[in-house]
Order: sequence, then structure tokens, then C-alpha cells
Amino acid sequence: MRVAFVGKGGAGKSSLSGTFARVLAGTGERVLALDSDPMPGMAFSLGLPQSDVGLPDEAVEEYEEEGRRRYRLRAGLTGSDAVEQYAVRSAEGVYFLQLGKARGGRWNNSRQHFGFQRLMDDLPDSGWSIVGDLPGGTRQPFATWGRYAETYLVVVEPTPASLLTGRRLARLAGMQGAPRVLVIANKVREPQDAEQVSARTGLPLLGAVPFDPAVGEADRLGLAVLDHDPQGPTATAVRSLVATLQKETERV
Amino acid sequence: MVVADFEAGIGTVLRLEGNPVDVVVVVVEPTAKSLEVGRRAAETVRENKLGHIVVAANRVRDAADEQRIRETFPDVEVVLVPDDPAIVAAERSGVSPLDASPDAPAVRVLVDLANRLLTTG
Repeated sequence: MRVAFVGKGGAGKSSLSGTFARVLAGTGERVLALDSDPMPGMAFSLGLPQSDVGLPDEAVEEYEEEGRRRYRLRAGLTGSDAVEQYAVRSAEGVYFLQLGKARGGRWNNSRQHFGFQRLMDDLPDSGWSIVGDLPGGTRQPFATWGRYAETYLVVVEPTPASLLTGRRLARLAGMQGAPRVLVIANKVREPQDAEQVSARTGLPLLGAVPFDPAVGEADRLGLAVLDHDPQGPTATAVRSLVATLQKETERV
Repeated sequence: MVVADFEAGIGTVLRLEGNPVDVVVVVVEPTAKSLEVGRRAAETVRENKLGHIVVAANRVRDAADEQRIRETFPDVEVVLVPDDPAIVAAERSGVSPLDASPDAPAVRVLVDLANRLLTTG
């Protein structure tokens, strides 16, 4: 299974994607978690102490092509090698890589950004599941930063701003490879919220996650919600999302 | 007076050049993740001398929240915006909190901040 979490900032992508990756790994899959946000995010929900896990400069080499500066993974380094060498592992064995820390004004991020993109283009193919977490908004998703995904999971809370972003992200279905785009209704408080999120974004509903005060508590404590409240509403809902998507993916 | 709402993260702040702003309001929540992003944002603003920093701490519930925020920003002016159901309700109905609940505690704190920034320049 290859999925990418997208949605408006604050919708809950990072909390859900990290939890999703760990639950998926718990079902026996080999999982790579990819966070293409330069700000800390997915590491917290994966239960990792380290949030900046970018490829080191030595993993990426510069070369010239038709007079232009370009970047690629170091000679002989495949995407799989890079994952094995540079990813950190969660308790469940999830491999985690992140875009790398944004380092100060006027710093050139080309090496870091193109290195991450080359890695995305050379990811291990069979035997791996990939769970991606993209920054909030539409910019990275439409700039193909989730191109490894067979399925985009749009996280939407039942607010007009979040719904509007969700509706725009529905157009990801028109991207190359015709990925599937599903919606997850998050922070659901009323019984009709989930159906309305699906109707207003025009996206099929994968499932709903209830509003859960334990998420806010875990965030305040700097803990993963799966560690803070392993049997709570969010963990339970994510287990159900994983099971539903696994079933659907098998069917397809 | 120009008020700009920047993209999430610190990408825009990292790319600011020259002297385009007077004040940078760093909005944080009392969560580990948000405080870390805010800390990096404030560091960038300070290093590049972009402007005066005010931290607007949102969704503050209790003394423990306040302590987390003050420990992260010991030398910066902090405005505490309480966790306020009126804001959640306004967001869900797509109405500006200032129109829906002008007297809600969270709204009043922001009105005070705006007035103060206006009068002090």
C-alpha cells in the first residue's frame, strides 16, 4: 500500500499519518514513512525523539547537465540503500525519513530538496508500504511531492476552510497515474459530520476519526497519541482506517 | 497598515529579505511540535533582524500550558489567547470570530494586541 496524507494545515495529517504507519507496520507490513515537511511533524506521532531526519549532504551529489546544476543520489546509492542507511526506526520498525531541517536565511535547499525527490523516484518497489505526510495546503501535492502514492488520503475537519482545501485536493485524481483520492473526516463531533465532509469535498469517505481530547493532551506532552492513549478513540479509528484500506487495496 | 497571514512553517520567514515588516507575530499552540516550529521561527526572525517579535500563544488552557510557552520563549513578549469554544463554533459555521463573538475572551485578547500595535507603531 502506498498512501500520502494531504489536507489543510491543522487538519491532523501528521497525527493520523504517523499513527497509520505504525498500525500498518503492526499488521506485518514493512513500512517506510516519508515526511516532506521541513518542520517537525510526523516524528512525534511515530514516537521518535528525533524530528530532523533528512538525507545528509554526503548522500546527494551535484552534477552538471547542459550547463545546469542538478542533483542525484551519490553514485551507487539506490533509494533502498538510502532508506537502509539513513532512515531511523520506530518501535514497530517503521523506517522514517524526512525532508531535513530548514537551515536559516538564504540557505540553498536545492541539495536537500532534489535529494529527497530523487529518493522518491527510486523507492523500493515490492515488499514495502509507503505512508507519506505532506505539508498543509495544495502546493506540494500539486507539485508532485506525493507521486509515490497510489492513494491520496485527504484529511478534512468539518470547517469551511478545511473543506475548501479538501475540495481543491480532490483534483489530485487528475494527476499522472490517476491516483485514488479518498477523504478522512477528522475531529468529527456530530453524527452527520462525516457524510457532510464526503458530500462537500465530493470524495469517497474512507472513514471518520472522532474529536478526541487525548490528541491535544498527547501533543502538549510531546507524545504520540498511540502511546498516550493506545486504546482510545483515535487509535481505534486509525486501526479501522488501516483495515478498511487494506481490504480495498486487496480488492483492487 | 498591512497584515499578512503567512504560509504554515517558516519557509516564508526564511525567504524574507530587506526590511518588509515591523512586527512578526509568531502564532503557537502549547504543543511540543508547535512550540518547536515557533522557536525556529523566532530564531530566524532574530538572526535576520526582520522585526519585533510577539508570540501569540493560542488555545491556552491552564497554567501548565502557560509555563510550556514561557519556558520556550523566555525573552519574548507573549500574548496568551485562551482556548475558547466561541472560536471553534465560529470556525465551524464559517463566520469570523470577531463578527460571531466580539466579546469572547480569545477575541478580546487579539483586539487588545491590534490596538496596542497600532498605537505603539
